[in-house]
Amino acid sequence: MSEILDEAVLQEEDTQKGKFLTFLVGKEEYGIEIKYVTEIIGGIQAITEIPDVPEYVKGIINLRGKIIPVMDVNLRFNKEARDYNDRTCIIVIDIDELSVGLIVDNVAEVISIADADIVPPPDVRSGFHNRYIKGIGKIGSEVKLILDCQRLLSTEELENLDYIN
Amino acid sequence: MDKSLSKEPMLEMFIFENLQLLEQLEQTILAHEKERCLENAVINEIFRIMHTIKGSAAMMMYDSISSLAHAIEDLFFYIREFHPDEMDYSKICDIVLDGIDFIKNEIGKLEEDQEADGDSSPFVENIEQYLLLIKEASANSNLINEAAARPAGLQKKFYISTSKSPPTENIKRYHALIYFTPGCEMENIRAFNLVHKLKDQADQIDYLPADIIENNDSVEFIRENGFAVIFTTHLQQEAINELFMKEAFIDSLDLRVMEDEEWEIEQLRARNQIILEEEPSVSNNEVREIGANLHSGSTRQSLISVNVDKLDRLMDMVGELVISETMVAFNPDLMTATKLENFHKATRQHRKIINEMQDLVMSIRMVPLSMTFRKMNRVVRDMSKKLKKNVEMVIIGEETEVDKNIIEHLSDPIMHLIRNAIDHGIESPEKRASLGKSPAARVYLEAKNEGGDVYIIIRDDGAGLNKDKILERARARGLMQKPDSNLSDGEIYSTILLPGFSTCEEISEFSGRGVGMDVVHKNIEEVGGAVLVDSTPGQGTTITMKIPLTLAIINGMRVKVGNSIYILPITSIKESFKAKPDNIIVDPDGNEMLMVRGECYPVLRLHQKFRIESALKEIAEGIIVIVQNDSGSICLLVDALLGEQQVVVKALPKFIGKIAGISACTLLADGRACLIIDVANLIILAKVK
Amino acid sequence: MKSVLIVDDAMFMRYTLRKILEKNGFMVVGEAENGLLGVQKYGELLPDIVTMDITMPELNGIGAVQLIKQINPRAKIVMISAMGQEQLVREAILAGASNFLVKPFSEERFIEVLNSI
Repeated sequence: MSEILDEAVLQEEDTQKGKFLTFLVGKEEYGIEIKYVTEIIGGIQAITEIPDVPEYVKGIINLRGKIIPVMDVNLRFNKEARDYNDRTCIIVIDIDELSVGLIVDNVAEVISIADADIVPPPDVRSGFHNRYIKGIGKIGSEVKLILDCQRLLSTEELENLDYIN
Repeated sequence: MDKSLSKEPMLEMFIFENLQLLEQLEQTILAHEKERCLENAVINEIFRIMHTIKGSAAMMMYDSISSLAHAIEDLFFYIREFHPDEMDYSKICDIVLDGIDFIKNEIGKLEEDQEADGDSSPFVENIEQYLLLIKEASANSNLINEAAARPAGLQKKFYISTSKSPPTENIKRYHALIYFTPGCEMENIRAFNLVHKLKDQADQIDYLPADIIENNDSVEFIRENGFAVIFTTHLQQEAINELFMKEAFIDSLDLRVMEDEEWEIEQLRARNQIILEEEPSVSNNEVREIGANLHSGSTRQSLISVNVDKLDRLMDMVGELVISETMVAFNPDLMTATKLENFHKATRQHRKIINEMQDLVMSIRMVPLSMTFRKMNRVVRDMSKKLKKNVEMVIIGEETEVDKNIIEHLSDPIMHLIRNAIDHGIESPEKRASLGKSPAARVYLEAKNEGGDVYIIIRDDGAGLNKDKILERARARGLMQKPDSNLSDGEIYSTILLPGFSTCEEISEFSGRGVGMDVVHKNIEEVGGAVLVDSTPGQGTTITMKIPLTLAIINGMRVKVGNSIYILPITSIKESFKAKPDNIIVDPDGNEMLMVRGECYPVLRLHQKFRIESALKEIAEGIIVIVQNDSGSICLLVDALLGEQQVVVKALPKFIGKIAGISACTLLADGRACLIIDVANLIILAKVK
Repeated sequence: MKSVLIVDDAMFMRYTLRKILEKNGFMVVGEAENGLLGVQKYGELLPDIVTMDITMPELNGIGAVQLIKQINPRAKIVMISAMGQEQLVREAILAGASNFLVKPFSEERFIEVLNSI
């Protein structure tokens, strides 16, 4: 029972449990667990491009002195590039001390989804092949695709491919 | 502290403090080993440090560490109290140093999130055996002294009670049987504490076991049978009950009033009836003296330890402050204002303060090399002992300061160079004697400031490098292409820094293994430094490492490539100019080169390298920047030079990883992120090509 | 809320004790890294309770207890000792220490002692 320091964190996690931030990428509505989200930046600021990285890594930005990488979620899903407009946002998420900005088309709202209303994604054999989805949340008749942030940020591919040449 | 507290910060503290203590201890031992005698102050220091480590380790349940520390503590307790004559100082130093190594190693595991699973029992046994040995030795030679020294302090503080008046009317005699909470430890002293407190309220106190003071083994008896106390008092039973139960760690209490006859029997059973007598162990004079010290002690410098992350953050924030200051001072809204004299005056002052702050933050990050240097004492000691060479290390300029981040990269190279010097450079004492050299060899470890750089010099008075052997080896391994006649001595010696080069035929325990010198070279280059080798046959070798003061701020040149801006470190820029079309050469493979004063340099178009759209078509349209380092020079083609700027170096986010040709990033005055070019990397890439 | 002064030369112990104390509703008003500073801080802060290490530089825990008792004969001091220090603990009690603990000890034990004095 390591209360002393974890108490605050636990409490916070409690109130955040089951809450998701939803946003649009293309026509689909996605959700990510609110505990990962540290900040939402409206509009696209100057992104400094970086050579020799996958296309979905758009570059780095300065977030109050901290330099964080930003990725285009649309491109991460291997979809066609879309132009950015005034509704485009950067959602900053923090996982395992890694901060990354996710470029999305539009941030919608914060909603609660009970564990019971989240079902695992359909099998690949049924034609579903977005490996970044870890569950499907149902709210009434609507469906939100819940993103697997860990996998979204996994850099295996970055390391596996030889981008240097 | 078992499971009840969050371990992380405690562990961090445990690791930090104990490593510091061990380091201090190691230095103390090394400094005194040669004198072949340990002063009282040193013995005390070792005792105290081991005691502290024992306590902390016990709290964290690291039993192997705490039992080893306990054993060393015991050894030094004996040395401190009895000053045995028959002591092998070298052996004692070995014991302590081995102990330090073991504990350091265990702490190292903890640092890596592993279990401290080492077994210290062989060390503990070894120490206990040695302690027995010196005890026996001094018992033989010094029997009388020891016997006199041991029990002296104990007995005079007590006397056996003689007056045993029977209880009167309102004074009753009580019998109390107390069991202490299991595991509360030192039950005999707890019993003593009870008796001591009872003394204010009661008379004629007797207790069983009677030897709680003299005999620490009495705890066993107390644990088994409880602690029995008999006393007379005018207090009522409830009051006494309360008095006892208020005490901590009392598991059970059986209290009853005793009849007179019963008392007699008990009296007989308790053979020794002892009553305490007040006798402070420090005399009043001493106390007064200490009191006087109290005031002088308050002037000492106060230090705190700060997490480096916080310093990094502070540094970042000052960097941002500089940027935001620029944004205020050159705010476009000011264009419309007419009278700005006072504003400019205020911003000048502002800027001055920020600059001072930046200097101060930088200076906080600077740490003296002394710790790193002193660590080498141990290396020299161990190696000379093992190789039976007589080596003395001379440390010069250890107070020289270097940025914290750089110092971390220096320890390994210095250690390696010193090992090399002792292993390969320095001759055996016999050989030195036959050469007419002093049998005691010297290794100098020197640091000094020069310009914006720090020089670390490792010099020995050994045999020096063998030029012919180096050349032969370098050619055999294909490390040398130029003909001999074109080679300077420096160039030949420097080949020992190349990967895959090692002059030592056999692999020794301390150095060699074919890696090493190139690691030195790599480490130093990583922090933006350089290594120079010089040697005189028969007189020794000097290796100089040139290191920048800090990594955190560099002087950069902003260069424009397409619509992007990059930073080129000023130190790597040799010159810049517009190329003349006549000097441009293109080889059959399409590689572009530039002739500059008769030398031919490869040209790297940065916009191509970084895949940026640029309007540049001809080399002559842009600007050529010649960059250089130890391994060569190349020409970089950029669109334009935008000006010099000091920039705060920030690591690229982990998510991005290592990018070829980019070393780090920074923020520009307008708040935009910007990449810093890795010149060394570009030169290597150009060469490979 | 009872105020506590921690006197210990080990930073690790000061940190650990502070954490336990704060968790259990005590107020740590000061820390000192040797006996001399401990006495000095005692005089400045006059805490309800002092936790006192024994082996310390400058002035050991027993000397510090004696001096603190001169400042305030009713001072409540808990000695933090280790195995093998029986003799020293006894001296501390004679000098006026209220009670003692033996390392390693648990959080519960520590709080029990503090509440008992």
